[in-house]
Amino acid sequence: MEAGLDWAAVLIAALVYLSALFAIAHWADRREAAGRSVIASPTVFALSLGVYCTTWTFYGSVGRAATLGIGFLPVYLGPTLLMLLAPLLLRKILRIAKAQRITSIADFLASRYGHSPLLGGLVALTATVGVTPYIALQLKAVAVSFDALTGGGLGAPTEPFLDQGFLIAAVMALFAIVFGARQIDAAEHHPGMVAAIALESLVKLVAFLAVGIFVVWGLHGGLASLFAAAAARPDLARLMGSEAALGHAASGGGPWGAWVATTILSAAAMLCLPRQFQVMVIESTDERHLDRAIWLFPLYLLLINLFVLPVTLSGLLTFGGGMDPDLFMVALPLNGGAGWLALLAFLGGLSAAAGMIVVETVALSTMLCNDLVMPILLRTRPRALARSADLAPLLLAVRRIAIVAILLFGYGYFRLAGSAYALVSIGLISFAAVAQFAPALIGGLYWRGATRRGAIGGVAAGALVWAYTLLLPSFARSGWLPSGFITEGPWGIAALRPYALFGLEGWDSLAHSLFWTALANIGAYVGLSLFDRQGAAERVQATAFVDVFHSAPDVATPRREAPPDWRSAASVGDLTRVVARFLGPQRAGRAFDGADPDEPAGPDRLRLAERLLAGAIGGASARVALASSVSAGAVEAAELLRMLDETSDVIAHSRALERKTAELERATDALRAANERLTELDRLKDDFLSTVTHELRTPLTSIRALSEILHDDPELDSEQRQEFLAVIIKESERLTRLINQVLDMAKIEAGALDWRIGTIDAGQALAEAVVATEALFRERGIALSVDIPERLPPVRGDVDRVIQVVVNLLSNAAKFTPPGGRTRLVARLADGVLRVAVIDSGPGVPAKDRDLVFDRFRQSGDALTGKPAGTGLGLAIAKRIVEHLGGRIGVEDAPDGPVAESATGASFWFTLPLAVSPSGQGAGEPPVMIRKID
Amino acid sequence: MSAPEPIPGHEPGSARYRDRMIGLFLLAAALFSPPLLGLFSVKGTILGVPILYGWVFGIWAAVIALAALAGRAR
Repeated sequence: MEAGLDWAAVLIAALVYLSALFAIAHWADRREAAGRSVIASPTVFALSLGVYCTTWTFYGSVGRAATLGIGFLPVYLGPTLLMLLAPLLLRKILRIAKAQRITSIADFLASRYGHSPLLGGLVALTATVGVTPYIALQLKAVAVSFDALTGGGLGAPTEPFLDQGFLIAAVMALFAIVFGARQIDAAEHHPGMVAAIALESLVKLVAFLAVGIFVVWGLHGGLASLFAAAAARPDLARLMGSEAALGHAASGGGPWGAWVATTILSAAAMLCLPRQFQVMVIESTDERHLDRAIWLFPLYLLLINLFVLPVTLSGLLTFGGGMDPDLFMVALPLNGGAGWLALLAFLGGLSAAAGMIVVETVALSTMLCNDLVMPILLRTRPRALARSADLAPLLLAVRRIAIVAILLFGYGYFRLAGSAYALVSIGLISFAAVAQFAPALIGGLYWRGATRRGAIGGVAAGALVWAYTLLLPSFARSGWLPSGFITEGPWGIAALRPYALFGLEGWDSLAHSLFWTALANIGAYVGLSLFDRQGAAERVQATAFVDVFHSAPDVATPRREAPPDWRSAASVGDLTRVVARFLGPQRAGRAFDGADPDEPAGPDRLRLAERLLAGAIGGASARVALASSVSAGAVEAAELLRMLDETSDVIAHSRALERKTAELERATDALRAANERLTELDRLKDDFLSTVTHELRTPLTSIRALSEILHDDPELDSEQRQEFLAVIIKESERLTRLINQVLDMAKIEAGALDWRIGTIDAGQALAEAVVATEALFRERGIALSVDIPERLPPVRGDVDRVIQVVVNLLSNAAKFTPPGGRTRLVARLADGVLRVAVIDSGPGVPAKDRDLVFDRFRQSGDALTGKPAGTGLGLAIAKRIVEHLGGRIGVEDAPDGPVAESATGASFWFTLPLAVSPSGQGAGEPPVMIRKID
Repeated sequence: MSAPEPIPGHEPGSARYRDRMIGLFLLAAALFSPPLLGLFSVKGTILGVPILYGWVFGIWAAVIALAALAGRAR
């Protein structure tokens, strides 16, 4: 065997590689912040799942194959099978995790079972105990492979804290802290970390394939010759058959147990390992990424296992039994003279270790912080926490301390256990530990009736049996417990032998443990659930999980204002304070923007606060934090929790009812408005009728009186007679005008008016209107002045109707201007329209009446005389004509300001669009004189 | 070959996809089960590769290919 590489060079290469990972992670974080995520890709997602493959895969598969043949495969077939169920299982988990803002698997289980802090803490503790030794295994693998690569260049590490294991642990702690616990993020997303592990997955795959190809084709001249050489050795030939993995069919199928148990456990681990749950569920940015991962991730597993058996056989052929098969990956290229390939293999193994350590510690630290430490702190030290305005630093500190502690624990275990069985076998023992979460996890997705006590009982029972049947025996085999513990049972009680519990002998230890843990776990879970009753909160959460695909998509949107009779004693200020403590004042300010701090919080804001907090510190902690937040004495914590439960319950039940009520209210409102309008119209019609009748009677009365005089007194002198007849004619005209107006209005309303719209000469039309009303002004002693520019461009309109509008406005002015007053008719060009204004010196129109004067039947005629001064139709008709011609009409104060005391004057104006026909002016009909008065 | 008429609305289609994947899961679970694998533990090689080894990786690859196809041909 060749001498190893220079250890300093290897160390530098490793550090350069790890620095590159830091750079990649930093770059990915920057890209994410800039909104151009690199991890929002199904391929990156599938690669990040490759964190499943640790050094236990990279180095350990070869070691397992050296004794089990294809028996190393179930560890990868299990996840393959699980991914096939992804459309059923994982999609649902992803959807729930997103809706509930889940931060870890402990949080998931705690949230499902009524936000139970006890269950969350139990899961966090079990995961930590089960998985931390696994981290030790990674440190050991890096240290041992480093020694293999350098030929033990550093010498035997004697003094602690100076070996490779400690170095890698320290770098990983730094990485986990920088990219996994830099800030409290409500979504618990770590794009930098995900990008780095996706790259690591690629590196370890490339390294494994490169070593495999080198070994098969470089050292043995192809697969056929390698297998042929191995087949010639009986001890190696058995690795190529099924006996090593499955045992002889004649042996009663005993070793089948190991195959089946490993498949089931690894499928469960794929779902329940904290790091897998982290990358698969928590870090997932889009559930559609699953569609590709379903086949891409199993393909990854297949490829990384493709050369395991060839490398094993080659190693055994080359080194015989003189070397640990776990080191073949590095030793074979080194022995073959390919030092660079050995270095690549080492970096591949380093990748496998680094990815696992970082994600696992981040996931565990989140769990420990949110589901163990914070609930305890919130319960035991509520006052100390309440004094602190911003708890984000505390949360980060807890997580960072947890990361360092987990890694120190892992390192310590590595130093302590060394090559003991307890460390070597920890891979599957870890799988068996986290598999205890599977029944409560999967059951909770489909079984509405599963209860909190059932889940706690199941996980606790499973974990205890696991510790007894796998963990303690592994201690015994490491020499930390007397070996009689295994062979004779504790205190010599044979029925309690951990590998043959209650006399269940001849089983593979893993299958044996799987059987008993499953029995205890599922038994307690189902049994307790069946004889238990759910609380309100549990029921709501159970429904939210089981029916996640049926629930309304608007669950996350805040509802409208809470009913005022809600008897919440927590104020908005309380909620703002507690959210600010965990998420910072900015987030809190945004969440409760614009609400009065003293206002009662109400159920909606309570739920909002709970959801925000759940994203940062997990569901169980969020509830306790809320409960401890409210000002002392204002409301009991228990009362608040009860309110929260009831709120969830009530919200779920009342949403449909509320919708219906709202619809009914809307319909009622519309009906009421219509009714009011009808009543108003009815009143207006009555007023109109009485006005019109009055107006008709006045001229009729005088006509009749004068006619009677003429009829009864033939002796009347001709001058008098002539005068009376003039009055009769004038009153008749007035009557005619009145009736014409009523008819016009009716026609306009019915749309039956005959319009003749064309290009007209506005100046002419205005002049005619002036002629038609001059007599009226003269009669009343009002000065009428006309201010019209010499040449007005032609406008579009109906000449008769335009004259009618101006006449109506002038008559209106004549009516309201007191004798001796002034009225001006002004026309101006402005913005492509002709603006015509009739400005009087009358009393003006109060601002509040300006919209009303153009309404049908309205009039403000009692200003001067105390009686209606018109039919109230003149302005309404003018408005309808102008609008039909495409103009606007309005009234404002006279521009000259008050013309007299108590008389502001009014300016009635309207606009007409200019004719823009290319033929220019004069294209319309000639102006027609329609009315001649004296 | 005429493709089946696409079903309007995506829900029935995705239910079909789900059913297919469950079927594939059952098939794979059966194929990877020890009794069936044991049947291929015979001496001999195909293209120089031991039959059992080639068989395991072969059906593994086939399952992956079917999973990819099931997702594509909805």
